[in-house]
Amino acid sequence: MTQTKALQIDEQQAPAPPVTVIGEDPVSIKVEDLNLFYDDVQALKDIKLDIAKKQVTAFIGPSGCGKSTLLRCFNRMNDLIDCCSTQGRILMNGQDILAKNIDVAELRRQVGMVFQKPNPFPKSIYENVAYGLRIQGVSKRRILDETVEWALKASALWGEVKDRLSESAFGLSGGQQQRLVIARAIAVQPQVILLDEPCSALDPISTLKVEELINDLKEQYTIIIVTHNMQQAARVSDKTAFMYLGELIEYGVTDQVFTNPQVRRTEDYITGRYG
Amino acid sequence: MTAGIEVTGTVTTENTGTENVGSGNMSMGKWVKSGAPWVWLNAAAVGVSLLLVIGLLTLIAGRGMGHFWPAAVYEVVYEDHQGQRTRLAGQITQREQVTAERLLESGILVAEGVETVERILLKTGNRELGGEDFRWILEPGILRQTKPLSFAVLEREEWGTFFGRVIGLKQDGQVLESKDVWSDFQLKLARAADLREQVRKLEKGDIGAANYRIEKLRLRERRLQLDGVTDKAPYDELNRRREGFQAEYLHLEEQLTGLSGAINRDIVIMQTSDGTEVELPLYTVIDAWQPNSMSGLEHVGHYFRKVWAFITDDPREANTEGGIYPAIFGTILMVLLMTVVVTPFGVIAGVYLKEYARQRLLTRIIRIAVNNLAGVPSIVYGVFGLGFFVYTLGGSIDRLFFEEALPSPTFGTGGLFWASITMALLTLPVVIVSTEEGLARIPLSIREGSLALGATQWETLWRTVIPMASPGIMTGLILAVARAAGEVAPLMLVGVVKLAPSLPLDSNYPFFHPERKFMHLGFHIYDVGFQSPNVEAVRPLVYATALLLIIVILLLNMVAIHIRNRLREKYRGL
Repeated sequence: MTQTKALQIDEQQAPAPPVTVIGEDPVSIKVEDLNLFYDDVQALKDIKLDIAKKQVTAFIGPSGCGKSTLLRCFNRMNDLIDCCSTQGRILMNGQDILAKNIDVAELRRQVGMVFQKPNPFPKSIYENVAYGLRIQGVSKRRILDETVEWALKASALWGEVKDRLSESAFGLSGGQQQRLVIARAIAVQPQVILLDEPCSALDPISTLKVEELINDLKEQYTIIIVTHNMQQAARVSDKTAFMYLGELIEYGVTDQVFTNPQVRRTEDYITGRYG
Repeated sequence: MTAGIEVTGTVTTENTGTENVGSGNMSMGKWVKSGAPWVWLNAAAVGVSLLLVIGLLTLIAGRGMGHFWPAAVYEVVYEDHQGQRTRLAGQITQREQVTAERLLESGILVAEGVETVERILLKTGNRELGGEDFRWILEPGILRQTKPLSFAVLEREEWGTFFGRVIGLKQDGQVLESKDVWSDFQLKLARAADLREQVRKLEKGDIGAANYRIEKLRLRERRLQLDGVTDKAPYDELNRRREGFQAEYLHLEEQLTGLSGAINRDIVIMQTSDGTEVELPLYTVIDAWQPNSMSGLEHVGHYFRKVWAFITDDPREANTEGGIYPAIFGTILMVLLMTVVVTPFGVIAGVYLKEYARQRLLTRIIRIAVNNLAGVPSIVYGVFGLGFFVYTLGGSIDRLFFEEALPSPTFGTGGLFWASITMALLTLPVVIVSTEEGLARIPLSIREGSLALGATQWETLWRTVIPMASPGIMTGLILAVARAAGEVAPLMLVGVVKLAPSLPLDSNYPFFHPERKFMHLGFHIYDVGFQSPNVEAVRPLVYATALLLIIVILLLNMVAIHIRNRLREKYRGL
């Protein structure tokens, strides 16, 4: 049923991609002296970082260096861990998103996230993409249909799934599932998209597709990606941050960081001497 | 029964085990190391369990369901050990071997060299004549044994079965001339059945309804008195309506008297095997058949009619005859009501313990307490149900809302509702634990995915986690249903009775009467088997009831399993 309805929408009638209203400030997120503790263990130390708007920022570093932890600060995913506490500020649109009085659900609408392993819900492809909208109380069929189609097109999945929108999302391949999850994230039209090693569970071809998608998406969104794969960081990101043992060692334009690292540790890591 | 499905897998491993062992000159140590003995041990354990289950079911089914078969009636000339000759007629219900020694001890002479003697239990019926309707006879004492075609078995409303020949019919005291007594008898039997059905309808339906309404009016009047209404108008109104109902009641009673006149018209004259002639009012005869002249197909037809009657009829004669429909109805209704109560409570408690409560010492203690509740003996729940639900809660409800009916209690006595709630309490731990386990199986990534889209924890639970955990929750409900349907001890305290005058669901407003007492298959087995005056006669009924209880539990479980499998299918791939 959903399928036929979605198909009825003519290509020409398709809605224009929504434009996020943004100011001129090129800085999207400003991290100020962020410290993070798991009980007594300090996982992040005095992080200072400006994330540029509508650019791809990559976090690299060896396992356990805190890059995922930092990423999960941006949508307060760390709140799920009881023993986790933070100091410092993360400013987004001039607001400290670590403040107690922040509406976390609203924040997460603004900051979408894609996880390491594709995690579609046990629902149809259509319902997966519509999930965020339904949470927001959107129930008008027309709006749902249009958004689902737009999000699937934006994540380069529409051509592959348009004939089976009502089928289970589990029937998709791993790469398709990951793009579906990205479609699900952008369907709620966030400002920022966090990608936590989005390609680590994918084969090379699927990886390539997701990378192409990241390239397209940065026209609209600020993207932060955590990756183990340095080639990937070099390929997709505009800026790269190298982290080591909870500290931000080096942060700069990707080309600079990879070709001419300023810090010895960065160079060692990039050239594969450890990590 | 479900165990049977799981078994097949293990049996296959047993086969592979055989191959390993069969390979010949393997040393003992190697054989033990290979794990083959374990496979054998497991397979043997499964085999034994399976055998026990099949044996149990076969025994119950064989003993219970054989009862409905129209067994042949034998007429024997029997000489007992004192040399007295009698003519007996009846159905053989049991044969056994008795040692000569035992017979000698009870003063019965046995021929030289005979080790054992066959003893036969003959169901002779005709309890009002002989005093007992079962008789043991010794095989050597049978002088002649025949299967007379004309011998009939009569199923009656009282005094049990009658064996004899139909030799005549009387109408209004006059003996009828008849060429074919048996077929005339059948016609009159059909008429009697028709009249009996009318009487039953009048008594249970219309007169019951009229009584119910008159009782309602009495309660309304009492209510007015309690409220201190002194105005005469409402009383007059009630009296006026009561007179209407009473007129209706009298009219119905007249109809009933008319019917009983008609019903007493016919009498059947029977001759027993020893030649005694007995006149039986025809309306007391429920069914009659001549097993010795029935064809194979008629036997089968008769068998299924009797099984059907057993399932759909009300019990008669202190539960020793008739069917068990009210017990089946009560069991199923109680289990369904229990499910309706236990599901929301159990699921909500499980969700809170797993998802919302901080996992601290107190939560752990609560969890241990819940687990231990599952091990509390069920009779303790019965005592609690009686003390708290029935007396305390029910008593308060009566004082608050049913004051007009006091001193006779409405909710202040055991009933379907209290029984269901007690059973819900008994099965609550199972549902809580399985809900928690079901929730624990949902991967964190799914929750994170939902939360990352801006869903609150509640929305995540409601839209994604609980639906995915629903097969696990259903597993708990399946266990709960199986336990509740088979439980007897607590029910005896909180609302089950040996004979309930009316079902908890009927056509009298408000149709559903959860305060009424009800019948239950498990209790019925106990009552029929151990509280009945005629043990021999009811033994097959005990087995048949047990079989039906198993079938009812199986059906309830299969419905639940079917729902669970559909949910699993819906949320598979996890």
